[in-house]
Amino acid sequence: MTDRVINDVLDSINSIILGKEHTVKLALTCMLAKGHLLIEDLPGVGKTTLAHTLAATLGLSFQRIQFTSDMLPADILGVSVFDRNASQFTFHPGPIFTQLLLADEVNRATPRTQSALLEAMEEQQVSIEGQTHPLPTPFFVIATQNPSHQIGTFPLPESQLDRFLMRIKIGYPNAAAERSLLLGEDRRQLLQALTAVITPEQLLKLQKHATSIHVSEALVDYVQRLLAYSRESGLYLFGLSPRAGLAIIHAAQAWALIAQRDHVVPEDIQAVLPSVVAHRLQARDEQASINLVSDLISHVTII
Amino acid sequence: MMHKAAPSSTSILWLMLGLTLAASPHFLYQPIWVSLVFLTAIAWRCMNIWFDWYLPSNKHYLVRIFQLVIAVAAILAITFNYGSTIGRDAGVAFLVMMLGLKVTEIRSQRDYYVTVFLGYFVVITNFFFTQSIPMVMMMFIVVIIMTACLITVNDPKHVIKKLQIVKLSGQMLVQSLPIMLILFVLFPRIAGPLWGLPQDSHSGSTGIDNKMTLGKISNLIQSDKVAFRVSFEGELPPPAQRYWRGPVLWLTDGTTWTEINRSLTSAVETNIEYSGAEYHYSLTLEPHNENWLFALDMPNKSPTTVKSHINADGVLQSNESVKQRVHYQLTSQPDYQFNQQHEPFVQRALELPDNHHNLSKQLAQQWRSETATDEAYIQRVLSHFNQSDFYYTLTPPLLTGDTIDGFLFNSRRGFCEHYAASFTVLMRAAGIPARVVTGYQGGEINPVNDTLVVRQRDAHAWTEVWLQDKGWVRIDPTAAVSSDRIEYGINEIMPLSMRSPLFVANSDALIELWQSINNNWDAVNNVWNLWVLAYGPERQRDFLTKLGMTNPNWQSIAIWLGSLLSLVFILLPLLLFYQRQQADPVVRLYQDFCSKLAKFQLIPATGEGPNDFANRAIKTLQHHKSDINTITQLYIDLHYGNKSHSITELQTAIKLFQPKKAQ
Repeated sequence: MTDRVINDVLDSINSIILGKEHTVKLALTCMLAKGHLLIEDLPGVGKTTLAHTLAATLGLSFQRIQFTSDMLPADILGVSVFDRNASQFTFHPGPIFTQLLLADEVNRATPRTQSALLEAMEEQQVSIEGQTHPLPTPFFVIATQNPSHQIGTFPLPESQLDRFLMRIKIGYPNAAAERSLLLGEDRRQLLQALTAVITPEQLLKLQKHATSIHVSEALVDYVQRLLAYSRESGLYLFGLSPRAGLAIIHAAQAWALIAQRDHVVPEDIQAVLPSVVAHRLQARDEQASINLVSDLISHVTII
Repeated sequence: MMHKAAPSSTSILWLMLGLTLAASPHFLYQPIWVSLVFLTAIAWRCMNIWFDWYLPSNKHYLVRIFQLVIAVAAILAITFNYGSTIGRDAGVAFLVMMLGLKVTEIRSQRDYYVTVFLGYFVVITNFFFTQSIPMVMMMFIVVIIMTACLITVNDPKHVIKKLQIVKLSGQMLVQSLPIMLILFVLFPRIAGPLWGLPQDSHSGSTGIDNKMTLGKISNLIQSDKVAFRVSFEGELPPPAQRYWRGPVLWLTDGTTWTEINRSLTSAVETNIEYSGAEYHYSLTLEPHNENWLFALDMPNKSPTTVKSHINADGVLQSNESVKQRVHYQLTSQPDYQFNQQHEPFVQRALELPDNHHNLSKQLAQQWRSETATDEAYIQRVLSHFNQSDFYYTLTPPLLTGDTIDGFLFNSRRGFCEHYAASFTVLMRAAGIPARVVTGYQGGEINPVNDTLVVRQRDAHAWTEVWLQDKGWVRIDPTAAVSSDRIEYGINEIMPLSMRSPLFVANSDALIELWQSINNNWDAVNNVWNLWVLAYGPERQRDFLTKLGMTNPNWQSIAIWLGSLLSLVFILLPLLLFYQRQQADPVVRLYQDFCSKLAKFQLIPATGEGPNDFANRAIKTLQHHKSDINTITQLYIDLHYGNKSHSITELQTAIKLFQPKKAQ
């Protein structure tokens, strides 16, 4: 049953996002692994559309916040307003109280606002004036950011990048996909027409299923070797954290679930590795033009 | 195919660095044109990489003819320069030049390997010339670089970073140290020409000559080179007794003093009676290309480790000339009576050439007639040296004409050889048999290891006179002029600042520091000489006996060597095998599967997962698709799956898997 459901979800998304099967799969993997997703790419390649489509297909409530530099934490989290009639403060929840939040251009906001969002992401709740307001479940943040070298951006610090399970890029579509996009119907209208394939409850079930995908000792050995290499090879400024190790395994489990397997194989690890660790690694030698992740993969033995 | 690709420019540059360093010590004494040819070739190759200069390709027949002409010209030039292409110097020059030519035509990996191995060989050739510690250290660095070359050429994708290459290469060398030690300690050392160096390897060693012409030793006095090192067991003889006996000179033609014909002297029995204190010591003599060994006057027995005897002059005579550093134990007794009653060659010790030294002869006869005994006459001459204005100087004025007369009556400035020669002439002219003894006097104690270091500047000459009932008696006329030279050694005569480089000469503290650095360095060199360079058959036998081997001969040593080496080469694979045994049986089965595919050049890359590998294998072995898929799936289920499968299915599948090439 799960197999069919997942395929349906993928088909549904792929009917809107053309020619990006791998990226779509990674995005779904991220959600199945209960992770937040960071999409980094140029404007106009379909970041927002992807987030919309995911929300619509998975039947999640959806909110979008366009981040700007004059935004305050209250604009995201909500405010307590004094209710004259009731003679007390009542909490007016902000746009964060939704199942899927699209934080558009997150690196345009000031660090203060960014960290308000990221704190809520981590805690799955919002604390305002001593009161805790839990966020709905499931709760996802899909943040997009423009490449950091653009003007007027506050790049996310490493510690906050770490909160995102994955960072993906979308990239330009291939010629055939772009052609059918140009010839086809307006995506917005298609999105309007899109109906949910699964319910949030089913999604929670799938998430639970993903955690039960078998991870063998041999595979954990492999992940540990990857972590060790990132720490000891001297190529990277900092080694991968234990949290990164967990992220690799969770993402690989979700990936194996999508591939309809009941166990994780090394190829699953390698498939998710670029999006899980690329934003957590920095080259020691900044001039080095190597691809840090493929270097990692090609230097660590599997057996 | 990767292994046929041309070596990368990085690896070529590494090689250029390694080769230049390896050959650089040869530049010092090779004819300049050999070095120029070599360096031009290296520079050309570098320019080819940096600025894309033209490099000949051997595809064109004109280029081949040109290369042939250059090679023939090189051979001819070397033959012309050295008289042959055989021998140490010519051989090395030939090697260096051909290596340079080879550099310009490295195209394939094979060329590269050939050049690297030639480079290793050049490293060895440096030890034909010097085996000093700095050279060993430099060559160690070169070997690290050459090994780094082998790493770079096997890393065409530049996966390994620069520093890592050096580190890896160093690691490999360090890992090979145990085998090096086993080979060094146990490789049978056989005395004799089998392991010898080419004949011309020993040219240029300096030392005391068996001739003396006034002015000759002064060259030695400028030399800081070590002549020999002595370590005493127990007490050292007092400085005034530190006479190291060398060639004894009897004959003079008026200017030059020479030895008496050896075939005559060795036939004669000598009669030396020893008494008094015994000094036990071991002496390490630097090669000096001559047939004598130095010993403290007078050794009572010839050493056991060197084939030698004490000749009629009391000189320790070795059977072969000393071309390598020798080490021997001796006992000497400074109190001795030499041919007390009878000296068969007494007539030769009285000969003076006619029409030479006429003034001196007159003076001698006059003084002898004025004195009663020979002893009194000797005293008369010595007090003349002592009380008249004779000076001890290392830079005497040049003597022309009759050197003895000129010295005694005019210049009166000189050092040991002037005094020894003129004293001997004065003795002989008065009818007292006398001869000149050359050798070394004094030496410097290195406080670091309590070794007495005798340098070329300690070279000395003195006189022996033969007196009835006393035999040969040593008289050192230099002592009459400058007693400091004898009491404290030449170092006291030469101010410390004169023996130190200019930049430290102005500060006493710096001079002392310089002195202590020198002492420590000499101590290190001594250990190196004794334990590494002098590790010959005797040392090996001693050392192995100490290690508990009974009666080691070269056969038993060879057996030990063979066994230890085979032990290493058996243990290593066993260790690797054991590590494999430790591995999961499933993994071992999978490795068997991989080695079956390895015949088709299908080897899993580092970081290639089983599915990816299977897909790659299927591309080559399309007809085995189902087998490969089945085995890979079984392996994945067993290794990564969560159900406990039976291993037998995988076992059978792999056993039955016999991949063949597609028809």
